[in-house]
Amino acid sequence: MPQIDFARADFALIAHFESWDRAAAAISLLRGPGRPPVSLEDIRDILPWIPPRTSSRVTVGSSQGHRVHGVYIDSFIPPDRLDRRFLRENLVRVREAAQYAIREGARIVTLGGFSSILLEGKTDLLPSHPETAFTTGNTLTAALIVRGVERALALAGRDLGESNILIIGASGDVGSGCARCLAPRVKQLLLCARNPDRLSKLASEFPSLGSRVTADTDLRRLSQKANVVICAASMPASDLLLDALPQGSIVCDAGYPKNLAAHFAPRECPIFYGGLGQASGGIKLDPDLLGIVYPYSLSNLTHGCLLEGIVLAMERRFESFSQSRGLITPQRVEEIWHMAQKHGIGLPPLFNGEGSTEEHILRLRQKVLR
Amino acid sequence: MAVASLCSVYFRYMQPLAARGCSAEQIQIWADVLAQAVTGELIGALNYTTLAELYQEPSEKREALEHAQGERGHAASFTAAGKTLGIDVMVNLEAQYWRRIRSSFLSRAKAGDLVGCILAQEVMLESFAVASYGQVAEAAPGELGSTFARIAEEEGEHVDHAIKMLRAERARDPHRFDTTVHETHEEIMTTLAQMISPKNQDCGCSLCAGICVKSSLSQVGVRLSDIRGASLHRYLRSLDEIGVPGESSLIWVAQLPV
Repeated sequence: MPQIDFARADFALIAHFESWDRAAAAISLLRGPGRPPVSLEDIRDILPWIPPRTSSRVTVGSSQGHRVHGVYIDSFIPPDRLDRRFLRENLVRVREAAQYAIREGARIVTLGGFSSILLEGKTDLLPSHPETAFTTGNTLTAALIVRGVERALALAGRDLGESNILIIGASGDVGSGCARCLAPRVKQLLLCARNPDRLSKLASEFPSLGSRVTADTDLRRLSQKANVVICAASMPASDLLLDALPQGSIVCDAGYPKNLAAHFAPRECPIFYGGLGQASGGIKLDPDLLGIVYPYSLSNLTHGCLLEGIVLAMERRFESFSQSRGLITPQRVEEIWHMAQKHGIGLPPLFNGEGSTEEHILRLRQKVLR
Repeated sequence: MAVASLCSVYFRYMQPLAARGCSAEQIQIWADVLAQAVTGELIGALNYTTLAELYQEPSEKREALEHAQGERGHAASFTAAGKTLGIDVMVNLEAQYWRRIRSSFLSRAKAGDLVGCILAQEVMLESFAVASYGQVAEAAPGELGSTFARIAEEEGEHVDHAIKMLRAERARDPHRFDTTVHETHEEIMTTLAQMISPKNQDCGCSLCAGICVKSSLSQVGVRLSDIRGASLHRYLRSLDEIGVPGESSLIWVAQLPV
């Protein structure tokens, strides 16, 4: 039986598997050694029947010396149904997961990944409890993306003010938050989303920037003009982006699941995984599924959205910090970033599925200098 | 299935089910499904009778005996539903998996483990019954379908009844309670998982008249993997309601044979 024990959870993190392979790896770990592995076919058959539940107990250390305790609740949304076509059934799962979090006594609950859709648009569907607050965690995600872009450009020896930044999924909560943070600081802001009405509404937020802001639903057209890209949403066809990008463009893949192959060789475009953070005080899961959810060489890593709930728990600010869509402002981003830093939560070295992106960026910089 | 055997089944059963568009093979499939259901109900009746012996309170003894009677009633309903379709339902209380389940139950009873016995019968076996009957009810024709649906609902009441009692029991000593759940799970749920494993297609349960029915269920619109999934779903929900930590029940279920 799990070893981490506490009377009441400070926080709950509601998540889901982003691929069947990771689900299979988690089931394998839970089965333990000595039992025959379960086929992917069986996992596909069984997983959708599992009701939302705590899959791990979590302890996170603050650099201030104290620790907070929580639960990692899996909504068990099947990885091939992370799609708006399955919205209704997924909402039921997320709602049940939220109810589960309340039962665990969690005082702040983060709806991570696809689950956040509920809090962005249909808060009335969430169960309510006087002692439990819900947050999407999108503000800290946006903060980590912006900091990641700043770091990548610094490593490349390039200036943010000279950059043409393309945001894909710009009308979403995270995308629009990044746009508001970056708009006054970049040379060109290129906004791309599927919904033209939402896109023009976002563009209209920046009247003083005039022609420095371009909004378009045509990804290929915008890609040609960009030298930094933020993928704030999962893309149906990432080739559309990669084929058209100028050589040496820096790509921040903040989609969930990830959109892009780790390295796009023909254009020498360094790709890093954005929106993830690292807790210097340590993150411990029991059972330890962290290495399966984040199979990278860096430790104590997790998504910014989940970290937001942890930061709020560390601050004892049990409030709905991020809710609805389109309310992320530069001020709120700075506020959550400051709180995160205070507890040793920040940006990890830039990386992707193949390893460090920082070395790639530095190599590219040397090449340009030569 | 041999041609002669098929012919015999056809001439014996064809009229009632054939009228509903069932082939001889489909008739045999429903006969095998009913054999499992009736045997399971009669094992349940024996388990409730044993439970009555374990209870101290007269009211609890009486209730357990009523449940035993209820299970016999379910078995009779299934048998009757089979008869209206021209099926004589086979019963075999010595069938491999059911015998093992009864034997696990009896060893708990012998040790005076009332909680383990309630968990085995009223949570594990009844959750399985509710979920699997529910799946079968959606596919079974006419009265057979409505019988499965009605009995699924009644079995659900047994589960609800047990949950209330077990929740209070767990509150007294959660660690000890969860250990009992795990031990009972290892015996009962492992046997059930082997019994309904889609991979185990020649399971030798000795309840099918011919070849193992598992590979043929799809012919009558029943998916064995859905029966397994629905059973696990119902079981996990029952444990959740009792208060067993989700991460524990998740591990136990993940460790079941597939």
